Amino acid sequence: MEFGLSREQEMLRDMVRAFAERELAPNALSLDEKGQFPAAEWKKAAELGLVGIINAKEYGGSDMGHLARMIMIEEISKIYPSLGFCFQTGQIGMYGLQASGSEEQKKKYLPALCRGEDTIAWAVTEATGGSDPAGIQTTAELRGDEWVINGRKVFITGGESAKIVAFLAKTGETTGLFIVEKGTPGFSVPRREESLGLRSVPVSELAFTDCKIPKENLLGQEGRGLSVALAGIAAVGRPGAAGVSLGIAGGAYEAALKFAKERQLYGKPIARLQAVQFALVNMKVELEAARWLCYNSAWLLDQGRKPNDIGAEICMAKLHATDIANRICIKAIEVMGGYGLMPEYHVTRLLRDAVEILPAAGTQDIMRVIIGGGITR
Amino acid sequence: MNEVWIIAEQRAGRLMNVSLELLNKANELASALKVKSGVVLLGDGIRQMADELASYADRVYLVDSPELRFYQGLSYTDLVTGLIAEHEPDIVLTGSTPIGQDLAPRIAARLRTGLTAHCADLYIKYDGDKPLLAQVVPGWGGNMLLEITCPRKRPQMATVSPGMMPRCESREHKGEVISIQPEIASDARIETLEMFEESTPEKPLEDAEIVVAGGWGLASSGFSLVRELAEVLGGAVAGTRPAVDSGWLEKQKMVGQSGITIRPRLFISVGASGAPQFTIGFTGAKVVMAIDQNRNAPIFETADIGLVGDAGKIVPCLITALKNSTLCR
Amino acid sequence: MPVNIIVCVKQVPHPEHFSRITFDPARQAIRREGIPTVINPLDLNAVEEALRLRDRFTGKVTVISMGPPGARAVLEGALAMGADAAVLLSDKSFAGADSLATAYCLSCGIKKIPFDLVLCGKESIDSGTGQVAPQVAEFLGIPHATSVSEITVGGEDTLILKQVLERGYMKVRVRMPAVLAVTGEINQPRLPTIMTIMGAKEKPLEVWGASRIEADPDRLGLSGSPTQVTGMRQREIKRRREVLRGGPEEIAREAVERLQELLKA
Repeated sequence: MEFGLSREQEMLRDMVRAFAERELAPNALSLDEKGQFPAAEWKKAAELGLVGIINAKEYGGSDMGHLARMIMIEEISKIYPSLGFCFQTGQIGMYGLQASGSEEQKKKYLPALCRGEDTIAWAVTEATGGSDPAGIQTTAELRGDEWVINGRKVFITGGESAKIVAFLAKTGETTGLFIVEKGTPGFSVPRREESLGLRSVPVSELAFTDCKIPKENLLGQEGRGLSVALAGIAAVGRPGAAGVSLGIAGGAYEAALKFAKERQLYGKPIARLQAVQFALVNMKVELEAARWLCYNSAWLLDQGRKPNDIGAEICMAKLHATDIANRICIKAIEVMGGYGLMPEYHVTRLLRDAVEILPAAGTQDIMRVIIGGGITR
Repeated sequence: MNEVWIIAEQRAGRLMNVSLELLNKANELASALKVKSGVVLLGDGIRQMADELASYADRVYLVDSPELRFYQGLSYTDLVTGLIAEHEPDIVLTGSTPIGQDLAPRIAARLRTGLTAHCADLYIKYDGDKPLLAQVVPGWGGNMLLEITCPRKRPQMATVSPGMMPRCESREHKGEVISIQPEIASDARIETLEMFEESTPEKPLEDAEIVVAGGWGLASSGFSLVRELAEVLGGAVAGTRPAVDSGWLEKQKMVGQSGITIRPRLFISVGASGAPQFTIGFTGAKVVMAIDQNRNAPIFETADIGLVGDAGKIVPCLITALKNSTLCR
Repeated sequence: MPVNIIVCVKQVPHPEHFSRITFDPARQAIRREGIPTVINPLDLNAVEEALRLRDRFTGKVTVISMGPPGARAVLEGALAMGADAAVLLSDKSFAGADSLATAYCLSCGIKKIPFDLVLCGKESIDSGTGQVAPQVAEFLGIPHATSVSEITVGGEDTLILKQVLERGYMKVRVRMPAVLAVTGEINQPRLPTIMTIMGAKEKPLEVWGASRIEADPDRLGLSGSPTQVTGMRQREIKRRREVLRGGPEEIAREAVERLQELLKA
């Protein structure tokens, strides 16, 4: 068992921290208020190799692996969780293309995605079920050289700004995963939801009305759509959500700690008052525990373990990190008193982000279902 | 010869204030050691300046030549080390100005002697019966004070930050001006071509040695009080978040949690109650003075000197009192 | 024309942890074990400037540092930014060096590497003397300039510099080889990318001791340092909280007197 990070992983953490402090911190509040995809920041991140972090070099990726990705998302999310969430969601499609796409599809889409010029959304959820994806009703009918798509998707993260959408549709009795490009007639983004948190990554509805896409736009094998879709969520979406939660928790803890060391009451820093100190200790212990669960799940992926085999580990990471993130944000606000509610201390923004991430990549209860299924087998 | 020297600094015929501050300290040290004080002055057309300096020191070593109009690194080093080698002063002080910091280290290296930079204080201490120059410097971001000595090598060299020490006041000396006309070989490898000095400096807030910041409490008396006070001190203007939000000054001048953190020598807060998001911006300041209407305002916990009262009345009185002090720039 | 550049870098304690540093009077040394370290911030500007010159004119950028074995971390960081090679000068005899002995040691190492230009950061955040660059130049027998905020190429081997003053600057012409110390205004240091981070381990990082650089042992370390620290104390920034009360003229006068006293100390 080796618990240390490699020198390169440490340098990555330092680099991402410097990037977050330099490029993200000054604008985090205003970007959040704008509620738009942070295209400029995404591009800068791509130049540093961060967007293609789990993609092969031959397609423009930097191929540093899942643990590196976890560290990157954590550091970014300490300061601007919305951008962390862009990685959570945007990299699912990049993984899916590389794992299941044809050579033509990989060459066509991946380089521009790795360069941060385009983004890809992953659309599975419908009104009839997100937690029960087998209940989807979007259909794909093969007519000659084209698939004709009809249906609606809901709560699709990044659907509004994505150039490419990979979506799940029924093909008769089975399912397929398909690619549609923005601007295709019959494909529209009719509605965007107002989010409580992670506001730079708006969640949208997608509508397909007799939308015709080329036959080649099937991603992976016909009939394997659901498993490709869920594999992407398990390997990339869920660890991504865990990483964002870890960053949110870390950011809130660090803000509370810094405040407690500086704020003087009764002639000393409040960090010396036992009640406050114990609150900080509890936060620290929960944060460390969550961190090792998250890092372990990412490390296992780097060891080549199949996402399905380590489903429980990945779910535990997301479940725990997201739970503690919510707890730590509230406790941080308590430690900071009235000042905790002021925007310039950022913790209320982090709390909203922590709440928003609860259902990402599967609700907390779905995590329990998967873990429960694993332990009671 | 055991003299205590300073290397004076002049720019375009104007003597830098730090030279008079050094000279004051040099005379003090010379008196403690019972030796003479000396000034090294290099430049072009500075005979009169040398004569004036002679009323502050025992000796002025003057090198007046058109070649020396601008600071020339290698020529100045050659000349000063030549003078030091000939006269063997015990102590040589320089201002830690950009030019002083460029010149003094090279001289020290050539003479293989010790140099301590940015001294906050200098005094004589005794090792047995041997007098040594004790050099006090702040270290580690100002959290520590170190005392340094140079026991074996001579001269003992130190640079002093401008504004750290009081200036020479009395002009009682009747020093002699020793004019030297050496062969000045200008070195073709490096040459200062021109010097540009701005009349209205707009330094970043972080570099200002003195900062005056105004807060919400100035709503009735007006933010202009802050500007006037800053002007008389030669300091920079800053403000709290409410002051910026009220449009009294630009966002770049905001001190605090969501603004800038600064560590000036002197920080004055006018009309700010002292919310933690503000006070965190200046905890590293050397000296803090606060003016506020409310005697219970938390700002007074974070200040060395607190003045309770109406800023509209206090600030004008401060300005008058400052104009008659050494703090006026 | 290719320009070969050597950049002097230093490992310093992380500024957020300065308050944890203490002085050991018995060893006459500063206790900094366990305190996180970083590369001196202005050295990043020096590395960046070197990389920009190399990217424009071709050549090689070598980073050099004098320090304990752990200082290799800052050299690795510079390689990750894009430097081509690194040298760590590390030897027990180098320890306890003041600026003069440090500059001497660095100059011995620098002499072993072909160069046209040596760049340094203007000063370090821990000792902040700003003396190393002029002293290295003296020992190498070449010109130097400090507080450089801009470097432009003037001719074949000539550079035109902006040397910053308190309120303005000097325009200086210098012929290479030379030593320049740069300010933070000169550039915005690049961040390493994943690609350059992964590439760093392929680049040479050598450790050189005293004999490799043929240094005179009497001029190194503690014995080569003319200055010594004879005392160190914590400076308590405890606010005095003296509240003056009275009429405005009275308290203003008193305040100015107190200020003059406090600013002198």
